[in-house]
Amino acid sequence: MDAAKDHLALPGGRAALRPQALPTALLPFLGLLALALLLPLTGNEYWAMIATRAAIYWVLVAGLNLIVGFAGQLAIGYVALLTLGAYTTSVLATGNVLPPLPAFAALGCAAVVGAVFGVVVGLPALRLRTFYFAMTTLGFATIVTQIALAWQDVTGGGIGITGPQMPAPFDTAWGFYYFCLGIAVLCTWATGNIARSRFGRALIAIRDAEVAAEATGISKPALLVSVFIFAGAMAAVAGGLFAGLQTYITPEAFTFELSLLFFIAILIGGRGSILGPLLGTILLTLLPEIAAPLAAWSTFLYAVLLLVIVLAMPGGIAALLDFASRRPLPANRAILPRPAALETLMRRRPAPGRLRLDNIMLAFGGVRAIDGVDLEVAPGEVHGLIGPNGSGKTTTLNVVSGYYQPQQGRMTLGDDPLVSGRPQARAAFGIARTFQTPRIIGEATVLQNVMIGGTIDGRATFLETLLALPRHHRDERHLEQAARLALEAVGLEMLASARADRLQHSELRFVEIARALMLRPAYLLLDEPAAGLSSEEIKRLGSLIQAISRQGTGVLLVEHHADLIFDICDHVTVLNLGRVLASGTPAEIRVHKEVVSAYLGA
Amino acid sequence: MLASILASGLAVGAVYALIGITYNTMFATSRVMSFTAGQLGMLGGVLGSLFMLELDLPLVLALPLTLAACALIGVATEFVAVRPVLKSLDQHLYVLSTLAVALIIQQLTALGWGTEPRPFPRLLDLGSGMGDEKYWLPVATCAVTIFGLEYLYRRTLVGRAFIAVAEDNFAACALGLPERNLRIASYALAGAVGALAGFSGGQLLLAFFANGPLLNFYGFIPVALGGLGNNRGAVIGGLALGLFQQAANFTVGGIFSSVMVFTMFIAILLVAPQGLFGSPSTRRV
Amino acid sequence: MTITRRDLALGSLSALAASSLARPALAQGEPIRIGWLAALTGPSSAPGVGFNRGVIYAAEAINAAGGVKGRKVEIITRDTQGDPTKAVNATQEMISQAKVHAIWGPTNSGESLAVTAIMARAKMPNIHPCVVDSLIDTKRYPNAFRIAPSNSQWDDAVRGYCLNILKTKKVAVIGDTTGYGVSALKASVAAFQKDGAQVVYQSNIDSTQPDMTPDMLRARNAGAEAIVVWSVSTGMDARLFNTRASLGWDVPFVGHPSMASGEIAGLLARPANWEKVYAIGYRSCSYDDKGALPPHTQELVDRLAGKVQLDDTLLWWVAAAVDAVNLVAEAVAAGGSSGEAIIRHWNGLTKHQGYYGTYTFTPENHDGYPTEDVVMSAANTAKNGTFALAPGYV
Repeated sequence: MDAAKDHLALPGGRAALRPQALPTALLPFLGLLALALLLPLTGNEYWAMIATRAAIYWVLVAGLNLIVGFAGQLAIGYVALLTLGAYTTSVLATGNVLPPLPAFAALGCAAVVGAVFGVVVGLPALRLRTFYFAMTTLGFATIVTQIALAWQDVTGGGIGITGPQMPAPFDTAWGFYYFCLGIAVLCTWATGNIARSRFGRALIAIRDAEVAAEATGISKPALLVSVFIFAGAMAAVAGGLFAGLQTYITPEAFTFELSLLFFIAILIGGRGSILGPLLGTILLTLLPEIAAPLAAWSTFLYAVLLLVIVLAMPGGIAALLDFASRRPLPANRAILPRPAALETLMRRRPAPGRLRLDNIMLAFGGVRAIDGVDLEVAPGEVHGLIGPNGSGKTTTLNVVSGYYQPQQGRMTLGDDPLVSGRPQARAAFGIARTFQTPRIIGEATVLQNVMIGGTIDGRATFLETLLALPRHHRDERHLEQAARLALEAVGLEMLASARADRLQHSELRFVEIARALMLRPAYLLLDEPAAGLSSEEIKRLGSLIQAISRQGTGVLLVEHHADLIFDICDHVTVLNLGRVLASGTPAEIRVHKEVVSAYLGA
Repeated sequence: MLASILASGLAVGAVYALIGITYNTMFATSRVMSFTAGQLGMLGGVLGSLFMLELDLPLVLALPLTLAACALIGVATEFVAVRPVLKSLDQHLYVLSTLAVALIIQQLTALGWGTEPRPFPRLLDLGSGMGDEKYWLPVATCAVTIFGLEYLYRRTLVGRAFIAVAEDNFAACALGLPERNLRIASYALAGAVGALAGFSGGQLLLAFFANGPLLNFYGFIPVALGGLGNNRGAVIGGLALGLFQQAANFTVGGIFSSVMVFTMFIAILLVAPQGLFGSPSTRRV
Repeated sequence: MTITRRDLALGSLSALAASSLARPALAQGEPIRIGWLAALTGPSSAPGVGFNRGVIYAAEAINAAGGVKGRKVEIITRDTQGDPTKAVNATQEMISQAKVHAIWGPTNSGESLAVTAIMARAKMPNIHPCVVDSLIDTKRYPNAFRIAPSNSQWDDAVRGYCLNILKTKKVAVIGDTTGYGVSALKASVAAFQKDGAQVVYQSNIDSTQPDMTPDMLRARNAGAEAIVVWSVSTGMDARLFNTRASLGWDVPFVGHPSMASGEIAGLLARPANWEKVYAIGYRSCSYDDKGALPPHTQELVDRLAGKVQLDDTLLWWVAAAVDAVNLVAEAVAAGGSSGEAIIRHWNGLTKHQGYYGTYTFTPENHDGYPTEDVVMSAANTAKNGTFALAPGYV
């Protein structure tokens, strides 16, 4: 397999995402680790403290990175979980409520508490818009601090509480440093496993292409809750270590600036990267030490840094290190679908039943977008859906893929009813789709984009993936093989490792088809796939669609190019004003009087 | 006791409502929630104190100057933090860019004005006790502002253009409305409304750099309760929040009242993400 | 400009090596390095600024007089901004990197709590002026000495004034919602009750709360004869005073030194609202009814004249910092600059006269400030950082 060669050219920061690129992607991490291991040679406990602090912050940031950098949920007030972890560990280790626990046991309990509250703090993200969620996390940060302040018998209130004392050999500055470094390394490894798995890709899909993510069957709640549990536990462990480093904690230590540091470290580092935020964390921990006279200006500098990053380099450090993406893509490239690959990709599928829409009615605020539509698509059939603008074609597609809830009517696939309003459940029925404007993750590679299509095929659980157990590796191997086949089928295999946002519009349409093919769909819904394509490309698209249908997949094709429709469709339905105007073979439709006058034109 | 809770609750509630309107005004033309809303309120107090106590200007000069300065900051925000990220609204970069601008404003104030609360002058020297101007000025200002805005939106051409842009940006552009200029104007207007909040509430909140994040949060709650873009909802939400907060302050004490306010806020949002008077979210596909 | 990661890494590594290897063994004539953990910027930085003036003055004065046995005093200042995290980093830096001989500060309790154990681990001689009682513990922290009163000494003074001089039996106790406010209120209430006084009302008030009327009304309805305030928020202090005036009530306020801060003047509705407010002060920094300071303090004020600005700070901040630097210098002069020697010297001090106080330390007691020197001052009588004694003292 020449996959390995492809990946040597990969960007450092992005490479962290990729399963096969381990050796090159690991180098910067190993370099940092080597530096960290050499640090004790200085014998300077001040540097031990700063490095320990960076390691502890990273333990938190590594988990938060999955929430902010990958899933794009703006949790600004994550210091809440650091506080919670610090107090849980300290209270248990001191024995304020129960008999004192050993430091490690207290840390473990903190991780459990953190996991629970990670979900509590994160839950609003499932219901609220970005800015609202950011505000609720700030609210939690306030609540936690106020409770720490008020609950004096347990937390010591304003007087505070002693941090946990680690047992030998971790009770010295360097011992504790090694301990924190070890946890930091573990965290890096674990988040790396998630990032390079279907879970990591699904998180990015939620961030950049949420609608497409739903269509591929990604369940946002389940995924986010797993991540909240993990990130919450890590943040709480970081809190326990933080309390150990500080030796003593008061509510004052948990400032908004600290929360900001975590948050900004990720954005400076770059979204969707691990190396970037790691460097960001180290940078922001070191900066105030190197620039001590700037203490008064530190928050101001953070703010300016944030603004500059958002406006000038939204990709952060990771984008700076992303050398491969600056290399030109091959010019004069062409999309050359190879239907032969479809055979390998699509084999071994049970034959699906017919997809049937029965008297569907859908109105938006009194306007009937679809008004009693009947539609039937058979397996292996290419079914064209045409009509003037606003006739309800895309709306019909959205009803089939579950985004809209019709007020009336019935949908079935074979004998199974298709429930509306749950688009993420469609993938399990083998219904895949593309979108009028391609919904692609620009920052991920083409291969990753396609692999997202197969998310529901993964078997390894979140925990298995976190620990890189065998099933995780099997999943990745399997998904990558399938994705390469799908790319070969649509004719884009040479662009597999290119960042998707560097592709041309026409190429993105084929990437979307490849992603949809990952489901080995029983039904494929294509929303104007020929828009923006050259006539040569349209021809190739036509034969690709026919090849797909020959594999037994029913294709529902919404299209304006009449030639394409009449060339490849087995059956055509014409919509007008939300109603079926005509339905029949292309030959029948071509001569249908009303269709000709209403749509096709004289 | 009850009189005091009512007086101070309505007063701070009116300030929160005005900040809520500041959020809404910016949101209407840009679809952006800006973290600068609270900072504008903070600046209203700080600049008012600067002009009246440090520079000894009379009210008739100080108020327009404060409003103008904040309007200018509003416009600057639009240029620096909003316009560049409008293209990719769905990436939510505005949360970060406006947060950055808000922090810059706050830190510059801390460095230039100091970190201790400083006095804000009496404006009219009217009333005492529960009828003191510091209680009724914010309420009166809030009433004047909301009626002024209603008049602007319903009776003037510019106001109708605002509404058109707010309701359907693309259609408004297609109609040839100067969408960009209207957006700049709305940021200037938001700056002035924020300044009014801080100025009228100056005697309650003092000229204090840390008022920004506080107003940001408490000003956002009325928006969340009243529904995004709904000014009347924001007024009702603001007054309700003010009364609830002050009542909680006096019944359960300072510490638990903030816990209660935040908990209520999060709970209400989870139950009604669109707010109590908001409309359901728009289509996504 | 581009800096590669490798450059950066190599650069910082060699910097590390240089800083740790190039340190020669203790040399004669090596300066006496005093670490100074200051909160010079950020919220509530006024004390830090005042202390800093004293530190700079004292170091310059010693060096101008030829140093300590020929050794110059060098002050290593780190601005902590009052943030415990920054204080911890700075402390470790002073211990491991700057290799200071003693540390003065930090000056507020939150930071001090965080760094005390770290200094104890390094056996670093430490003097600080922070009030929290648990900061002084000669078993756990044999290296830490306090040259200011502890919170319970403050509390004793306030309670003593209320019960013995104002002769009140019913008090209201008010704190803010910060860590300090919450814990000080609890301690104060408990002590009043132990002494048989009646605490008729207690409340933690959010210092941003716009109106203090309900709290003041409740205190009045409960029959409070004095209101004890534990808060560092001047805004809250001023609101309390204004509310008292608008209620037409003449109850005295007794409590935290912040009530005498200069900023309050601007926040008051009427200057008269500041009457009958008694804030914690110190005998050494208070003038009597003839306007005269104690002679020893007057001597310091004369020496500071023209060199240190006093009209916008408090004399005790400056004086305590001068004492702290002098205490280190004298200890080194007496027994050398090793940590043990400095601590041994301090442990032997009996009625050692400084400008701010007369300190007595023993190996079992590191609270060196005499309680009888903590007095109440009339809050609105600031004159060059000193105050008039509150009525009732002889």
